[in-house]
Amino acid sequence: MKRLPLSIGVAALIAMVVLLPFSAVQADGHCEFADDAVKIGGLVPLSAPGAVTGGIAMSWAINRAADDINAGCGIEIDGANYKVEIVIGDSEGSPERGQAVVERFILEDEVHAVTGVYHSAVGLATMGMLDENGIPTVFSEPWNDNVSANGIREYDGRPPRNADGVDHIFRISPASSMVGGVVVNWLIDLGVGNVVIIAENTDYGQPAAADESARFEAAGVTVTQLNVELGTEDFVPILSRIQASAETPDVIRVLVTGETSFNLTQQMAELGIAPTEETICVTNQVAFDSVQYWENVPDGNYCAFNRVGIIPSLFSDAAVELNAAYFEEFEKIVPSYAMASYDAVWMIADGIARAGSMSDGAAIVAAIETTDLDLSQGRYYFEYGNHNPELPEGTPAFMWHQWADPIVTVMQYFEQGQSSLDAAVIFPEVYQTHGSGYIVPGTSP
Amino acid sequence: MALFNRFESAIDKGIGRRKLGYLVIAAIIIFFLWFPNDASQSNYAKTVFISGFFYAIMSSSWALLAGIAGQFSFGHMAFMGIGAYVAGLIARDGFTFAMLGVSITPESISAIGSIVIGTAVAGAVGLVIGWLLLRLHDAYLALFTIAFSELFRIMMLTEYDYTGGSNGLSLRPLLQIADVDMARQVEYYLMFALLIVCLLALYWVANSPIGLFLRAMREDEDAASALGVNVVRYKILIFVFTSMIVGFAGAIFYSDVGSERIIPEQLEILQMSLIIAYAVIGGMESLIGAAAGAFISRYMLEAVRQVVISLPFGLTLPDGSDAIVWDTGYWRFALFGVVMVFTLRYMRNGLLYPIITWFSGRDIAMKETVSKRESDDEHAARIEAEDE
Amino acid sequence: MVIEDTLFVLWLMLAGPLWAAVGLFVLPFVNNGRPEKEQLPATSLKIGGVIGGFALGPVGVGLFYFEPALIRRTTLTLGVVLTVFLSSQVLARIVEPDFPSALWLLLAGPLWAALAGYFIPRHYRELEADDQDVLTTAALGGFAIGPLIFGLMWKTTPKVNRDWIITLGALGAWQIYALFAIQNPTNPCVALPFSATYLTQQTANGIVIGCIYSLMAVGLTLIYSVQGVVSFAHGQLYMVGGYFSFYFLLHAGNLLSDLTGAEVTVNPIWGIPVAAIIVFLMGAVFERIFLKPMHEGLIERVSEYAILITFGFGFFLEYTTLAIAGPFPQKTSRFIEIRRFTLDRAFIGEEFFFGPIHIIGDRAFAMVIGILLIFALLYFLQRTWTGRALRATSQDRQAAAVTGINPTNMNTLSFALGSMLAAMSGAALIPIFNWVPWVGAEMVGRSYVIVVLGGLGSVPGALAGGIIVGIVEALGAGCHPDPSRGAAYKEAFALVIFALVLLLKPTGLFGREPN
Repeated sequence: MKRLPLSIGVAALIAMVVLLPFSAVQADGHCEFADDAVKIGGLVPLSAPGAVTGGIAMSWAINRAADDINAGCGIEIDGANYKVEIVIGDSEGSPERGQAVVERFILEDEVHAVTGVYHSAVGLATMGMLDENGIPTVFSEPWNDNVSANGIREYDGRPPRNADGVDHIFRISPASSMVGGVVVNWLIDLGVGNVVIIAENTDYGQPAAADESARFEAAGVTVTQLNVELGTEDFVPILSRIQASAETPDVIRVLVTGETSFNLTQQMAELGIAPTEETICVTNQVAFDSVQYWENVPDGNYCAFNRVGIIPSLFSDAAVELNAAYFEEFEKIVPSYAMASYDAVWMIADGIARAGSMSDGAAIVAAIETTDLDLSQGRYYFEYGNHNPELPEGTPAFMWHQWADPIVTVMQYFEQGQSSLDAAVIFPEVYQTHGSGYIVPGTSP
Repeated sequence: MALFNRFESAIDKGIGRRKLGYLVIAAIIIFFLWFPNDASQSNYAKTVFISGFFYAIMSSSWALLAGIAGQFSFGHMAFMGIGAYVAGLIARDGFTFAMLGVSITPESISAIGSIVIGTAVAGAVGLVIGWLLLRLHDAYLALFTIAFSELFRIMMLTEYDYTGGSNGLSLRPLLQIADVDMARQVEYYLMFALLIVCLLALYWVANSPIGLFLRAMREDEDAASALGVNVVRYKILIFVFTSMIVGFAGAIFYSDVGSERIIPEQLEILQMSLIIAYAVIGGMESLIGAAAGAFISRYMLEAVRQVVISLPFGLTLPDGSDAIVWDTGYWRFALFGVVMVFTLRYMRNGLLYPIITWFSGRDIAMKETVSKRESDDEHAARIEAEDE
Repeated sequence: MVIEDTLFVLWLMLAGPLWAAVGLFVLPFVNNGRPEKEQLPATSLKIGGVIGGFALGPVGVGLFYFEPALIRRTTLTLGVVLTVFLSSQVLARIVEPDFPSALWLLLAGPLWAALAGYFIPRHYRELEADDQDVLTTAALGGFAIGPLIFGLMWKTTPKVNRDWIITLGALGAWQIYALFAIQNPTNPCVALPFSATYLTQQTANGIVIGCIYSLMAVGLTLIYSVQGVVSFAHGQLYMVGGYFSFYFLLHAGNLLSDLTGAEVTVNPIWGIPVAAIIVFLMGAVFERIFLKPMHEGLIERVSEYAILITFGFGFFLEYTTLAIAGPFPQKTSRFIEIRRFTLDRAFIGEEFFFGPIHIIGDRAFAMVIGILLIFALLYFLQRTWTGRALRATSQDRQAAAVTGINPTNMNTLSFALGSMLAAMSGAALIPIFNWVPWVGAEMVGRSYVIVVLGGLGSVPGALAGGIIVGIVEALGAGCHPDPSRGAAYKEAFALVIFALVLLLKPTGLFGREPN
């Protein structure tokens, strides 16, 4: 009992420190909110084995969108203002967990709409459940074609979702077939003859590599595909193999993400394999975050990369603002999936406001189908849905409930340490910023 | 304390601790049986319970293998994966072995048939691995099983064309019930029944003479063998037995009972380490302790995902909210690690051990160890005497 | 940096003889200070010096100097390896690509290995012959020469030794290589005229990265030799070592930039001692609290406890780092400003001769750091009182205690030193690889392979094991007939070797028999 006075002192001190910030009460009273709130679920990967980096950015963007909407007095339905409330769920990148979280969203949290999803496997596993329960959903990052195609086409034994007349699933990220085409078309235009594809053995790398190989081969280009496991650090033996091949490849295409891709690109540059005058290096959207890219790949200069999402020169005010906020939070350039997640929340809010109800799923879906909104990534609309149910001959099934305009471009850095905001867009020609196609390493447009 | 002592003696005089223990177990079982009938509980709660049952099976069977038999294997998840993957592949592609005249077509096999084959293959691989491991002990055994399980995972990931790679493999659904609520109810009872059956089987082994032999082997293999225990047979047996249990549980769980597909990421060492941590926290030498450890740890890990501290006295934060909200993120796992380390150091038999001992009225886990140490001391004394 | 002219080639060609001369001169000194009984024959020392110096340069000389016991085996191995590569070059050109026995070779090898591994040791035991290493020899022999091994070993049950193992193992490796060659004749490992260059390149890649791997494995083996504990937290200690270096460099750089007003980048080499000191202390504290009771008899079933407690420690470290540093990849600036060393194409007259060979600058630097640190450790263990006390404790705890060594302190020292070595290799690698909190997992898996291969408890074994694993991974990924799978299975090659060593010869190449 001798120590009592000391412990009381310590407790008092702690209490003071803890309570100090709360003594200032700030009233935020310019909006009158109704008692209810519109609840939106954000399904993102926040723990391993999921892509945590993606999940953190998406969850930030979803919350940010809600804050921005609430700052403008929320969603107006029948003259009352409803606050937007976000419920974040951790998919852990696993279909099983994803399904459990969606179930929780529906049954416990009673969300009115859902957005997010990074991993295609999670998207594929949860879309059926979301549709059956009538939850309007806007996916902001899964790429698998079947996520939208299953709306009107059978997939893996599951009937088309729209068979009952309402399909609740929308997607504003590109279908992977929309992405692969751009890089391949660019390279075929350049007249390349042989390509090495290095792909991770995941649900991102393998389908993308298969798709691109097929396109290259159709154009008569020789393709060699190398698969690597995520988490590999030392690529030198594999790169030496490429270096030793009888014919120097014209292109090395990197379909690997995360830190594994940085290791690969850096070692490629250190060994002098690519980018060089003979060999073009094409990496993927991970290179767009220039802060992280230059830190981890100091020698990976002049790699071209495909960019999914709006290009910096076309950034709207909303996008510039979002990027500034993101930079303040993470010291990184805002990735496209954060932008898409931000936009998805706005799109849902807009749909609810126009439907005039937060709980009538079918009405909200009908409203979202006729979306016409300018948000951070550009103008959103859906070409095919129940407002326009017939897909013309030759239009792939994945265009159903799919935003048709995710911009997919090829960009390239041409100066060491350059910000991606200043990097050149080199393909397609309409978006070219520096009036030049491929920039030969060491030159400037 | 005095109150507790009085309560204790009252129990001892009256019903007796053991009987009370059975009553508590019965109450728990009744709770689990009643639970899905509670209308206020959603399907989500049932889903959480279903995967809780699954991990309880995993961790209690690991407790038998590692805690009681002393075979410190990191390959438990891999055996589960073998059961699930084989069941899925058989149901999808069939299997033909012309030389033996065996031919199984996807049409001719039912979901149950594929699960049985998956279990059998898991057992067969367990047999081979158990045989290979005869020469290895302790750290070597742990390292070998790590290598085995990583090799298996890499193969499942890389052989994309067959296993679906990281997209995972769908197994044939075991139950085909259209009504979602009904289906969840059935899945719940199925998984719970599986847990009970597995626990009974595990207990039966642990309390049979085999269990005694296993404990003796764990303490001192040479001594056990000198006393006439067939070390080879029991070591292999325990591998086959636990592999079949987890292979079976895995094949059922992923046949759209708990999850509709198995992914290679599930076989990562990280997932295995969680199973180990559950067992350690619940008590490695108590099967029910390990099962409860899995259930409770998973619940706690979910519960502390977000810590909300309501402020007293109507205080508010600068942004107008009246509670401190802390997204624990990875801190909860860090904390979990701390709990695991301290449990190991200071409560070696798990956090639930005091409760279990109290009910059973005796010290179960320690007795072999203590008697063994005594005999060791005698032995040492005798040698010293002989030396002199 | 590209060193273009033939001067460099000349230098390289001279380097071998030069180091051979150094070896010839230095190695006889091994006998200085040794008691009469332990003196080694001067001729074998000189031969070892010449061959070691010629083939492995300073590494060879240093290795043989500190561990003269390795001379004979290593010299033999080098000879066999050279023969294997030369002869398989010839074979690859003679055999038809669709040689139907390719499949037969693939299947028959393991089958005969299993048969021989099962029956021959039994036979030896029945005849009460000395069966040490018989299992390994029989299994390798079954793989390499099929049923012939029964002919060799059944009738006379000869006493086998490591020379048998090395020869048969090399023969097996040669068959795998030949199989690769037959399966894919355009494989760069066999396609002339570049294959010699290519194999040299891959071997060089393997040696460079292998020396780096070794540094981490040495720590693991040190802990094991004294405590008998395999640290399952080693990968995480390696990882935090990298992060300590990273944060130190970041803050030191910022501080210096503020002070001087100019942009200052601190060379990552300064991060190594910082990480070493911090992790040394961490290791010591952990040992005192959690491992010490184990040696005091306070804990039952020590080996199981040791696995779990170190494992739990690693779990804690990994998630704490994730919570603090986040999952974003990070990296420090480079050691040296030279991107790569290149030995350019060499021609004899007009004819292509050899090259080019590339080695990444920073890796070469890290390799040098690794080798220097390992030699420093060997020096510490062999030539200082504390080091000798550590070794004495590892050999016989009771005897050491009698001579006045405090085994408890030696335990703490070994764990702290081992952890420190992991942290130092982390700090040496963060300029080379991107760093994330789960970076330790792959690396530690490899360390286990290395220490088991080299023999748990043997420091030179860890160095040799590291180089072997490096080379196997490089050649496996480089020579696998299917390029797309070769890369994905890179890790798996080492794991297969690991499983085989554990099964056939758990004491590894240089390990002592368990007590």
